[in-house]
Amino acid sequence: MTRFTGKKKPNLLKREGVEEVDWKDAALLRKFVSDRGKIRSRRVTGLTPQQQRTTAKAIKNAREMALLPYGGR
Amino acid sequence: MVFMRHYEMMVILDPNLDERTVAPTLDTFLNVIRTSGGNVEKVDVWGRRRLSFEIKKQAEGIYAVLDINCETAAVKELDRQLSLQDSVLRTKVLRRESAKK
Repeated sequence: MTRFTGKKKPNLLKREGVEEVDWKDAALLRKFVSDRGKIRSRRVTGLTPQQQRTTAKAIKNAREMALLPYGGR
Repeated sequence: MVFMRHYEMMVILDPNLDERTVAPTLDTFLNVIRTSGGNVEKVDVWGRRRLSFEIKKQAEGIYAVLDINCETAAVKELDRQLSLQDSVLRTKVLRRESAKK
């Protein structure tokens, strides 16, 4: 119930000044991943649907190249 | 003319190689691109980096990123030749979709 007394939504974490994530930028991608290595949900990141999609893709690409962990559980 | 496209290629090499020899070795492979009429925009050797999980029993790898303009068949061949190499742990070829900026 406390949920919708608050403001609209958390924040656009994209206010890093980047418009599109680069899959090679592991440091940036780390911010969209939990400490377990899971991709953060949109509720947490506050990204637009398009951004969330491209970010998730970027994270998956980065994982394949061992830049990010696969985590899980 | 044939279809030229921009490709981005990342290669992870064996950490036991000498880092200084990486660029010249990659260059010999890049002749595949050049002879087929493509050109290599940039070769960026990141150097040694910790892998977040082991690949072929290695905990580290030497990363290199290549920016290439060439036709499809040429990257395919380059990727094939590289992945046959024992010193190459992994490769990835991507096409930069949005040719932005």
